[in-house]
Amino acid sequence: MLFILEDAINGILMGSIYGLAALGLTVIFGVLKVINFAHGSLLMVGMYVAYWAVVLTGVHPYISLVIVVPVMFCFGYFLQDILIKPIFKAEKQVREPITVIIVTTGVWYILDNLSLMVFGPQYRNIQDNPLQGKMLEIGQMLISVPKLWGFCTAVLTALVIYGFLQKTRMGRAVRATSLDREAASLQGINQYKMYNIAFGIGTAVAGIAGATLVPFYNVFPTVGVLFDIKCFIIVVLGGLGSIAGALLGGMIVGIIESVGPQFMTATWTEAIVYGLFLVFLFLKPSGLFGVRYDW
Amino acid sequence: MKPSLARKLPLILVAVIALGLPLVVRSATYLHIVILLYLYAYLTTSWNLVGGFAGVLPLGHATFVGIGAYTSTILSLQYGISPWIGMLVGAVLASIVGVIIGLPTFKMRGAYFALATIAFAEGIRVMVENIDFLGPFQLNGPRGLQIPPLKTGIAHFMFAEKEPYYYIILAMLAGVLTITWAISRSKLGYYLMAGGEEPEAAQALGVNVARAKLTAMALSSFLTAFAGTFWAQFTLYIHPKSVMSLDISFEIAFIALIGGRGSISGPVLGALLLRPVSDFSRIYFGSTLPGLHLIIFGVVLILVMLYQPRGLQEPLTGLYKSLMKRLSGAREATA
Amino acid sequence: MKILELHKVQKHFGGIKAVEDFSLSVEEGEIVGLIGPNGAGKSTLFNCVAGVFPPTSGEILFQGENISRQKPWDLCRRGLARTFQIVKPFASRSVLYNVMVGAFATTDQRAEAEQRALEVLRRLHMEDKKDLRSGSLTIADRKRLEIAKALATRPKLLLLDEVMAGLRPTEVDEMVAIIKRLREGGITIFVIEHIMRAIMALSDRIAVLHFGTKIAEGPPQQIAHDERVIKAYLGEEYGAA
Repeated sequence: MLFILEDAINGILMGSIYGLAALGLTVIFGVLKVINFAHGSLLMVGMYVAYWAVVLTGVHPYISLVIVVPVMFCFGYFLQDILIKPIFKAEKQVREPITVIIVTTGVWYILDNLSLMVFGPQYRNIQDNPLQGKMLEIGQMLISVPKLWGFCTAVLTALVIYGFLQKTRMGRAVRATSLDREAASLQGINQYKMYNIAFGIGTAVAGIAGATLVPFYNVFPTVGVLFDIKCFIIVVLGGLGSIAGALLGGMIVGIIESVGPQFMTATWTEAIVYGLFLVFLFLKPSGLFGVRYDW
Repeated sequence: MKPSLARKLPLILVAVIALGLPLVVRSATYLHIVILLYLYAYLTTSWNLVGGFAGVLPLGHATFVGIGAYTSTILSLQYGISPWIGMLVGAVLASIVGVIIGLPTFKMRGAYFALATIAFAEGIRVMVENIDFLGPFQLNGPRGLQIPPLKTGIAHFMFAEKEPYYYIILAMLAGVLTITWAISRSKLGYYLMAGGEEPEAAQALGVNVARAKLTAMALSSFLTAFAGTFWAQFTLYIHPKSVMSLDISFEIAFIALIGGRGSISGPVLGALLLRPVSDFSRIYFGSTLPGLHLIIFGVVLILVMLYQPRGLQEPLTGLYKSLMKRLSGAREATA
Repeated sequence: MKILELHKVQKHFGGIKAVEDFSLSVEEGEIVGLIGPNGAGKSTLFNCVAGVFPPTSGEILFQGENISRQKPWDLCRRGLARTFQIVKPFASRSVLYNVMVGAFATTDQRAEAEQRALEVLRRLHMEDKKDLRSGSLTIADRKRLEIAKALATRPKLLLLDEVMAGLRPTEVDEMVAIIKRLREGGITIFVIEHIMRAIMALSDRIAVLHFGTKIAEGPPQQIAHDERVIKAYLGEEYGAA
């Protein structure tokens, strides 16, 4: 019984990190109404940036965030500006152009294979980093310390993003654009700049998630693919555009993944996650907290 | 020259080249490349029935390739049934699965549909990868199935040389192109286009959009499964990553999108342009710059989507038409 | 014979009562007009009849049969066609292609559908435009194309939703003539319109909708002088006897 509780807690912690990864995706969708298929690759890029920042400067992985966040924000900002904005301009009437999906899929392929070429296929991790393998003992349970840090980061990031969107002027402008492009632009808001910012934020959050993973997760070129699909599942479970939904959805997946193997093979655990995904897609596509969307 | 003959001339030319190619190209490696090119042209044209005509974005079509491959292989290895019959069985099975997938997903729009097809495809692949036996049928999990080349001849769909495979895939390609052409001119074709472009208007004109899309899906998955059987008989070894992977699904979709989905020539054009890139970059740069061809794909895809969203076939057919005009104009002048 | 009957039709969207207790019958061969200020519920009513969504309560009978829960494509097969207020041509396709989609409702053969489509285009004096890309047509031509598409389905009852909006006066007169000719050809017409002179010239009878309820019904001249109608359109100050 205690093992299950231990698994569940570790699952929640890991799940919150999944949620953090999915947070970027949900913000991008919430504002741009675009599903960014390259999100996993952005996470991968974030992991490499964090990795190299730590390896080259020797700082604590979480200090690397100082580098990771601005770099990733700019990367996302310009990605949106150069590649996706032209499509929005060309297809003004379409609310969520399919072309964007195709373009982001192209970005996925380019980023994954570029990093394969540049960094090589080997698995990397940071040897003896301050968080490596540390466990916290609570009673008889062993809780993973890096995952605990990840959990705190996830909650903190979610709160910061929420605060930004709700309380700051720019955040409100971003939300206004998400509700109605035309109306917002009539109010003097540069809709394209808002999109760039939203994409930048989403990418920066992916970077934060990457930095959180680097202390205990292997870094390799195709690591993004695993997370990509998982992020979509989480975002559908929690509701596209919902911050709380992303964290909650992530925790649900985290728990299933860690408690599941106690009762069945890892495959069937994966199958359950996919199954849950499909059930939600069919029965409740708006997810747990999402806004009812006219699909 | 009569104008009707002039219009048919390019087609005749292509037919002659296609039929005579194996006589000129004697290298087995190059013939292998051409066969795969035809195979991808076949796959993208079948995909086009749903992805182009029905106007949605299916990103999990490799599932049907896998169903075709595994069905015919299991039937021939375990029960000695001819792969040709297995091909048909596999196609029917794929068709059923296609309709099952399509029923709930066609109600969704854009990205959700694409995600659902990915989820289905990956779900099925994960299951096949982890199951050794499905009832009495041996799937062998990740190790896959090997086909021993014991008996050759057309009845066993097994040949020692490449030439017969070449002609079979050529015939399949010609067949699927003819079917596509016929559908584009038929009621189903009109209904699919209408339902894809303006579903509400189409419904008011009597189009049951959902049923049209399901019909297209059933047909598309049926035809795609044939390719799976061909692949199994050609490469003699199938496993989940080789016949059901997301990479294959994406490559099929990319080629069709770059060539121009919704048109008849688009997917073939896409295959003609991109497969050689893929093969040659793999051969020459495979060790030094792995994945180069995928980067090129990605870049081309993005460029095409930004500047020619209807695919490269649009400017290319425009060029071709003006060329034809020039030629027939010249002919009239000299007549 | 009553081709269309609406009995106490209601349509509620959550708390909003878009159509309230609406009853009307349309005889075969009539042209019945539906007018009312913006937001009165006219298009909602049309959408109910056309099968886009079912009424919250009440009955809709087409040729005596209850069609309240039928889908638009089935209704089209039965002979009930409609046009859209915001025209929706298949923009990337030719005019002929557009009409052929409608024509396929009556046949499975391409050649036949093409023939029928050409016939319809001839009737509406559009056959010279048959190969033009429908997305590049003028608004007047697009409105005519809307009617052509619906006509190709061989309807018995045609619902026209504001086909005159955006047309110049001469174009309006042309359209009135076309619609009158359609009725002579045996089609019953139920038309929503804002342009008063058109609907007055066209209709045998007019029903007036205001905030979802029918406030008046009768021949055009009677409606024009009905105090409630005047009040609804122009406000209380103009309602003097």
